Amino acid sequence: MARRSITLDPISRIEGHAKITLHLNEEGRVENAMFHVTQFRGFERFCEGRPFSELPSLMARICGICPVSHLIASAKACDELLGVGIPETAANLRRILNLAQLVQSHALSFFHLSSPDFLLGMDADPATRNIFGMAASRPQLARDGVKLRQFGQQIIEWMAGKRIHPAWVVAGGVASPLAAEARDQILAAVPEAMAIALRTLEWFKASLAGFSEEIRTFGNFPTLFMGLVDSEGGLEHYDGVLRVTDASGRVLHDGFDPRKYADYIGEAVEKFSYLKSPYYKPAGYPDGIYRVGPLARLNVVDQCGTPRAAQEWAEFKALSRGSVLSSFYYHYARLIEIVHAIEAIERLLGHPGILDKRVRAAAAPNNTEGIGVSEAPRGTIIHHYRIDEHGLCRGANLIIATGHNNLAMNRSVLQAAKHFVDGNHLREGMLNRVEAVIRAYDPCLSCSTHASGRLALRIQLLDAGGAVVDELRR
Amino acid sequence: MAKPRVAVFKFASCDGCQLSVLDCEDELLAIADVLDIVYFPEATSTMLKGPYDIGFVEGSITTHHDAERIQQVRRQCGVLVTIGACATAGGIQALRNWADVNDYVRTVYAHPDYIQTLKMSTPIAEHVPVDYELRGCPISKRDLLEFISATLAGRKPNIPTESVCIQCKRCGNVCVLVARGLPCMGPVTQTGCGALCPRYGRACYGCFGPSETANTGALTRQFRSLGLTDDEIARAFRTFNAWSWQFRQASEEAERA
Repeated sequence: MARRSITLDPISRIEGHAKITLHLNEEGRVENAMFHVTQFRGFERFCEGRPFSELPSLMARICGICPVSHLIASAKACDELLGVGIPETAANLRRILNLAQLVQSHALSFFHLSSPDFLLGMDADPATRNIFGMAASRPQLARDGVKLRQFGQQIIEWMAGKRIHPAWVVAGGVASPLAAEARDQILAAVPEAMAIALRTLEWFKASLAGFSEEIRTFGNFPTLFMGLVDSEGGLEHYDGVLRVTDASGRVLHDGFDPRKYADYIGEAVEKFSYLKSPYYKPAGYPDGIYRVGPLARLNVVDQCGTPRAAQEWAEFKALSRGSVLSSFYYHYARLIEIVHAIEAIERLLGHPGILDKRVRAAAAPNNTEGIGVSEAPRGTIIHHYRIDEHGLCRGANLIIATGHNNLAMNRSVLQAAKHFVDGNHLREGMLNRVEAVIRAYDPCLSCSTHASGRLALRIQLLDAGGAVVDELRR
Repeated sequence: MAKPRVAVFKFASCDGCQLSVLDCEDELLAIADVLDIVYFPEATSTMLKGPYDIGFVEGSITTHHDAERIQQVRRQCGVLVTIGACATAGGIQALRNWADVNDYVRTVYAHPDYIQTLKMSTPIAEHVPVDYELRGCPISKRDLLEFISATLAGRKPNIPTESVCIQCKRCGNVCVLVARGLPCMGPVTQTGCGALCPRYGRACYGCFGPSETANTGALTRQFRSLGLTDDEIARAFRTFNAWSWQFRQASEEAERA
């Protein structure tokens, strides 16, 4: 039989547009797999010539799912352009906003996008394998998902005025102080959010046993891991240094300054993707392949910082003697981070200065270069700007969470496809598993290419001459 | 009345507008009761074939492939509604319409030759007839729910097209343009955001695009009297709705001045 390839396009229930091509050998077994991202929007260029003060609002438009992460990394880069330290209250308000976004984005990924696979099964009818199908079969869980996401989105709205693309985070701090009323509203919502987070975590842990095959094959291989840690090596999403660990859990670099990212992160170019493939320079390419995001963050830290999350983290770490390697556990890590975020939000709101009116430092730019970092729900993002003497942007480089995971996602797709896909007998459930690998990373392709688009899903088997041998449609 | 079959399509965008559908938390499950959402790749793996009674389209047209796809989408949809600044005005990526797109691609991508992109990012209405548009970056949940309930009731949606100024007055905001001399786009921008930026003491930056009968010439003169340069005026009109004809004209006039 001639060599064939299978294309999955688009992948559903992820954000943005991507496709997967599976290359089969003569026996119809998967030989190679490629995860492609298609399209582009061009943020690095059209920010040129814009005043730096506009950049946070412009850059937020990269992504409608994690606009707050871009807003924060961008504003931090602008703080550096100003050359000021921002008021502590402003930093804490930004932290709360960032954590609220982590909750809503993780909830969207877990409940709306992935939980239908866990609940209804990877082989379930795709017509009901979605959030609306869940609302019919498991209304409580669907409601929990909606509620938990609402908790995060509502905080963003109460603090910043609107849920998507708020303009509240600005160079030098935030635009306005927190109202006592907003603080009390958030605190009142904490107990319900926490109850949902904990019962979901219990349910998910109990159901892990049913996914041993997926755990074994969904991107289960050694890589490095990278994420921000605070000065005590604790879980951190707003500031701090970047730590890199290896598969055995050994710390390779105990925290480099994110401003020096170019010394540590190289970008390799692969034929199959529009995305560049970042790697950890000291380890070389491709050994320097690393993962970021919830799984990586829980792997690199020494502690979780908040009491309930700390217990869960200890249990999570016990899964493996070294780093927890299977990308299926991204889901697990996401739930633990939700618990941490809710605890941290409550703690920050209890800070005596949180209602302080001084939330913005004023200055004219003192530097021509600024680099800002934050942990987005999907991993580390870095915004790097250069400005001229008029404060106009003259160059921008953006390193985006999904981009870091590019190499690992490709390898994961290949691993799962080799295990599950038999090219001679295509079944829906096989292909859903290949898509589910990608969903475990919760990639945000709007972010990674600053672009997207979508098609009806079609999987085609092509012979060597390009003729369609078989076809599956959804 | 049978449940209308609804589809949500995405082109070049950030996903924020379709997420506004999921943001209707309290109403989300109620929406699922009255509408049959049969195509929504962001949220579901089902992608049932058309025809659809209502098609919501997010994003702008930036590739040859998308230019063809929007034709198919149009044929499948009874009512076609564009949602957000990308779909109605080309979005922020339309800023490349004034630049050399190949230059853009080379800056960003490892394999520029892999990128097959159009020179321009254009709104949906430049390709197919559009029945209704919901504005904003992103759209407002209120407008979306109003559109859905009006359609179900068979009446015209009550979505105001006046300027942000009217809303500002209703909110009792102090005018940031007059009182603080900020270059506010409110006088020419359609309402819908609840005058959010002026409420926070910031100048409006035009998320909802041109209001009905926007007087951009008068605003340009006002900006000049505040001391803005021609470049600054052009930039004020060039954000998320830069390719709407009103803002495009205003920015190009300022550039020529």
